[in-house]
Amino acid sequence: MNNTAQKHDATPLVAESYYAAVTDALRTEAARLLSEGVVTAVIGYKEGRRHGTAGPAIVVDPARANELIFSAACVNNLALYLTKAKKGVAGTGKIAIVAKGCDLRALAGLMAESQIRREDLHIIGVACAGVFGSGADRREPLSAGNLAGKCRECSVGAPEGADIVIGTLPPLPELSPVEAEELARLEAMTPAERWAFWKENFARCIRCFACRQVCPFCYCEQCLCDRNRPQAVETTPRPAGNMAWHIVRAMHLAGRCAGCAECERACPMDIPLNLLNRKMARELKELYGHEAGLTPVEKGPLVIYREDDDQSFIK
Amino acid sequence: MPKTITEQNLRLLIDSLIKEGTRVIGPRRTGTITLYEPLARGEELDLNELPRRSAKEVFFPVCENILSFQRGEEGVKVTDIDPCAFPETVLIGARPCDAAAAPVLDSVFSWDYKDEFFLQRRRKTTVIGLACTTADDACFCSAVGLSPADSKGADLFLTPVREGGYLCEALTDKGKTLITSHARLFAETSAAAPLSLNEPAGVKLDLHKIKGWLDENFESPIWKEIADRCAGCGSCAFLCPACHCFDIVDEGTEAEGHRRKFWDACGFGKFTDHASGHNPRDAQPKRYRNRIMHKFKYYDDKFGQTLCTGCGRCIRWCPVGIDIKAVLEEIQKG
Ligand code: SF4
Ligand code: SF4
Ligand code: SF4
Ligand code: SF4
Repeated sequence: MNNTAQKHDATPLVAESYYAAVTDALRTEAARLLSEGVVTAVIGYKEGRRHGTAGPAIVVDPARANELIFSAACVNNLALYLTKAKKGVAGTGKIAIVAKGCDLRALAGLMAESQIRREDLHIIGVACAGVFGSGADRREPLSAGNLAGKCRECSVGAPEGADIVIGTLPPLPELSPVEAEELARLEAMTPAERWAFWKENFARCIRCFACRQVCPFCYCEQCLCDRNRPQAVETTPRPAGNMAWHIVRAMHLAGRCAGCAECERACPMDIPLNLLNRKMARELKELYGHEAGLTPVEKGPLVIYREDDDQSFIK
Repeated sequence: MPKTITEQNLRLLIDSLIKEGTRVIGPRRTGTITLYEPLARGEELDLNELPRRSAKEVFFPVCENILSFQRGEEGVKVTDIDPCAFPETVLIGARPCDAAAAPVLDSVFSWDYKDEFFLQRRRKTTVIGLACTTADDACFCSAVGLSPADSKGADLFLTPVREGGYLCEALTDKGKTLITSHARLFAETSAAAPLSLNEPAGVKLDLHKIKGWLDENFESPIWKEIADRCAGCGSCAFLCPACHCFDIVDEGTEAEGHRRKFWDACGFGKFTDHASGHNPRDAQPKRYRNRIMHKFKYYDDKFGQTLCTGCGRCIRWCPVGIDIKAVLEEIQKG
């Protein structure tokens, strides 16, 4: 809910016909890929029962390619389904995946971490005008009023490096950033105020781990937070363990997080997790000149040691 | 003659209960989120939307201490928590889908083992239910035998009326006492017109037929089809008014600590992970199957009740769009 912009401008960002055209092209491409045997499965989206909703779908039968859709309700980062954590759900062989620009950054990151190989993937990029914010009104077409916060300042709407890109977007309006403003507000705080801000937010955490489970980079087979012999982080949803869990999460994703904001979208307690992600991304850029998911060849700065690394923090 | 209470007097009721030393829990909004929380003043009551988490936490908190231990000169001293010392509580503004879940949970918490942490809170709590005017497209109480006007589980039930305020119906002795002990806040009316409650739309469910299918289809390709995409989080179970699994853990240092009871979820991969390394539910579809089986078959087999009140929370908050109502409709088709 917190990544939903204030309700103001209800002018549709793109015509409904745009989604219809992309959906058509997507179905044709998926059916072709499956029937020609180029891929064994297509990971995409299908419509939900409720108006304005959609969810992940794994299609293996070309006859069912017509269940796939693309719309502003296609919020999920499907890269999740290629990770070790979801091992095997898409089967073996070459797999096609529908990817928005931000999802593509996650794919690039997973390639850099040797979790997937480019040659095993057929990437169907979709030109994206943005997705609905969680908790936003989905009965109306996508507009500045119900757009996800991350999309207001997106620079990767037209995906690069895909095998095919579906859709050509009309020029989109420049929108005022919401997340960047919030981040600036946070950075202007004193450390004590910032600590209080996060303490209050994390106190609400119920440890449902939706944030972890939807994150393409939380693919560890043994999460530190599930360990009990010895226990590293208190497992109960209480302030101490919650803080520890969120510090672990932030540190393990620093320089890896692709910025898809899936964690924040999934959080049922409206904890602004992407703010923390963005803060860590900025630190990594300032310290090491590194941006996650730009090219699939780099190793993240926190897994490499160089003699000229900044060591001023060692006191 | 039926009783009514104005919006203002409802807040005054809360204030006077608090003054008498009663803990009052009701929907309260902080930032973007409404939760059932202890109220400090009547004004904090916010009945505009269905709280994000269910009211089960009034009886079954997210996390609670069940004992504490200290190591001393004479060995380890264990101190029990006394459930009899839990405070008298009024839960106000519980929607039908939340209030109705409490008596369903009584069955499991008072079955072979009597869970006094749950049961004492139940005894000490008076539930003021609220007829619901805000059904959305995820709600389906009417499809599982309830409705926005159902007072099951409530001691006192409020129905909003056109003139503003509420019609109050006392259903139990607890409810009657609440009215008589605050009689000046209630009025008598002969003609209060209840607001129309919009029934959730959509297909009605035949729970008997669904159970029949579940009896026969532990193994079915449908589970993989529905739940391969399930991310295995605790969102659905934690927000649900009827899910009641918990874990127990000792936390602290060698010198002192607490034994804690806290929410767990059958969607987690570790939920059935044995110490041996074997995991009988070793894939997500098996875990999701358990969610459906437990709600619509096992609990029915054991207690003749269904573990779902149709609140729609798991539908609204499943991060991968798994919609339990759609799943049940599919099963109903056979
Ligand atoms: S961040 Fe960009 S690519 Fe990702 S959903 Fe929003 S607009 Fe689309
Ligand atoms: S999704 Fe939200 S509530 Fe759940 S564990 Fe993550 S931060 Fe906590
Ligand atoms: S299963 Fe879902 S709809 Fe049913 S009571 Fe639980 S959260 Fe509500
Ligand atoms: S059904 Fe949805 S909410 Fe429940 S465990 Fe699976 S992904 Fe999480």
